[in-house]
Amino acid sequence: MTPRIAFFNNKGGVGKTSLVYHCAFMFAEQGQRVLAVDLDPQSNLSIMALDESRLEALWPDNDHPLTINGALAPLFEGTGDVRAAHIEPLSSRLGLLVGDLALSRIEDDLSIQWPRCLEGDTRAFRVTTAFWRIIEEAARRHQAGLVLVDVGPNLGAINRSALVASSHVVMPVAPDLFSLQGLKNLGPTLRKWRGTWASALPQAPNALGAMPQGEMSPVGYVLMQHAERLGRPTKAYAKWQKRLPITYRESVLDVDSGDLTGADDNQIQRIKHYRSLMPMAMEARKPMFSLRSADGAIGAHQANVQQCYDDFSALVTAIANRTGIKEVA
Amino acid sequence: MSYFSDAQLEVMMADLESDRAERKQSFQGDSPQKVREAVCAFANDLAGHNAPGVVLIGVHDKGTPMPGFAVTDELLRSLADIKTDGNIVPPPTLLAEKRVLSDAEIAVITVWPCDTPPVRYKGRVHVRWGPRRGLATAQDERILNERRRHRDRPFDVQPIHDAELIELDRLRFEQEYLPALVARDVLEANERSYEQKLAATKMVLNDSEPVPTVLGFLVIGKSPADWLPGAYTQFLRLAGNDLTAPVSDEEAIHGTVADQIRRLEEKLAAHNQRGVRFSDVDTEDRREAYPLEALRQLVRNAFMHRSYEVTNTPVRVYWFDDCIEIHNPGGPFGSVTPENFGQPGITDYRNPNLAEALRALGYVQRFGAGIAIARKALGQRLRFEVQPGVVAAIIQGETS
Repeated sequence: MTPRIAFFNNKGGVGKTSLVYHCAFMFAEQGQRVLAVDLDPQSNLSIMALDESRLEALWPDNDHPLTINGALAPLFEGTGDVRAAHIEPLSSRLGLLVGDLALSRIEDDLSIQWPRCLEGDTRAFRVTTAFWRIIEEAARRHQAGLVLVDVGPNLGAINRSALVASSHVVMPVAPDLFSLQGLKNLGPTLRKWRGTWASALPQAPNALGAMPQGEMSPVGYVLMQHAERLGRPTKAYAKWQKRLPITYRESVLDVDSGDLTGADDNQIQRIKHYRSLMPMAMEARKPMFSLRSADGAIGAHQANVQQCYDDFSALVTAIANRTGIKEVA
Repeated sequence: MSYFSDAQLEVMMADLESDRAERKQSFQGDSPQKVREAVCAFANDLAGHNAPGVVLIGVHDKGTPMPGFAVTDELLRSLADIKTDGNIVPPPTLLAEKRVLSDAEIAVITVWPCDTPPVRYKGRVHVRWGPRRGLATAQDERILNERRRHRDRPFDVQPIHDAELIELDRLRFEQEYLPALVARDVLEANERSYEQKLAATKMVLNDSEPVPTVLGFLVIGKSPADWLPGAYTQFLRLAGNDLTAPVSDEEAIHGTVADQIRRLEEKLAAHNQRGVRFSDVDTEDRREAYPLEALRQLVRNAFMHRSYEVTNTPVRVYWFDDCIEIHNPGGPFGSVTPENFGQPGITDYRNPNLAEALRALGYVQRFGAGIAIARKALGQRLRFEVQPGVVAAIIQGETS
């Protein structure tokens, strides 16, 4: 089955969406066929990837048939089941399931249906696995080698359903108090969701066919935007950075932190703050590592662009290794 | 202009050992990429056949037509797109057509060898050695570079004798241009010397005789106009409607082509008036006197297609009160004539290698789209005056 990797942290503002965006393009750059899915009701990924006139066309005043909501609508309006979602092409290999601000409307229904799964209720399973079924169908149609899922920063029902649909979870974290607190909440919640889903699965009516397994395996964390001076983290950040590996082990993996010296193998990669590249990338609507001199990345910026390319290339390679994504020749 | 007869193609289709034919069952999955790599390899013609190679789509690996394969108009269009989407630079000379071979429909792309190799697909030089394809080694690249010397080359890769290597800006070449043009993995595996890199990117004649070329000056020259007298830009803002009007701003813009484009676009943006309407409408309404997107395309076109040969004329931009005129030296070139100028699909390259450089630096997204984009934004406001020695784009101001 196609690896479905969710990027999740309940602390917002760590640069999660931009991470998903860049990873998606980098995987595509390396030859993978990628499906990016925007399940954040704030739709930041879609806003980042598409220009305003296209968004206007995708989000008209009335129905939004081309967004993720369009695919969900029949199920949540009670007129049928989910339908095939529109795949917005971002490049020849990269497709996007467009997000929708109206997605938050299904939050209630999702949270009501969740406990009913334990009773083997058919509609409960339909609703809870809606994201998974849409993603699976779209991934097959797109011939995707992997799926990247962007979700909002909270522990609500939408995210629960999105994570049930995911086989892997990557956690972007910033080296600060809030990210640490976020991890502390996140770990136990993920375990609880995984547990509930595991006990609900045997109740699933056979007629519904294949079901997501809700693995949500933690892949590791990506350390975001650490402020570095002369190549070394500044002191205030260093403190939090030191505690991250321990917190990650204890609350996400639920293992004893033990003796932690040397490199932490749960840290997939550090992603620097590329400063002036990000605004340039937003303006040019392309990833930072693809910026050219015409986009304003002249002279010394180019070195930064190359560095950025190397970092993301290493990051996606590491993610691919840890999640068993097949390498493309 | 079919190059091969049906009979010749049938022979090539069946000859599994040929290094001048490549077979693909369809144009789906990873095949668009593989076909592009093949086109790139044929354009490089490492073996020196001096004759076109063909890609046959709709043919089984064993050399027989795929049953039920239909060549649609859409397929042919996406095949022709290979030439203009800008991923293969300099733009290859190719022909995509539908042929009937052994009673079956087959899409055939005929690719002519390039006069100025190496040709790159996404920053990598693909070549064919025998029936297989692969990336060019440093030695292969040398052979391709050498080949350039003995042909009648486009002006943009001709050497400027008397000029020395010191005239080129090494820092800019290594930090800005090279990473933009050459794929990352190729650069990393690189064992080529500075001179070899310059030769492979056509900045110098060849590595044993590192004489800067015209392209070298235009892309990384320290002072291009010293050697190519017309390689600069004249910008004039006139307070009136003709050339006798008083000048309110002027600048002679020197530097590499990228420098000139960047500076000129800054100038245009600064002079372009933006009106903001907010008092009598419910959402703020901003509009520019001249759509910048269109100006940008026309400016970049001017630099790419102008003649740098035997002329002392710069690109001239006159901004009058009622219109903007962009004049560039050199009339229509090759298959472009005054009669068919600006028609969709009619493009030719006076400076194919400069086109490659501008694509690498990000000033060109795809080839042959500039005028179409400008027309779409400007409609009737845009008109061209095409003469044998000069092309002028004239953009009327808003009349409302």
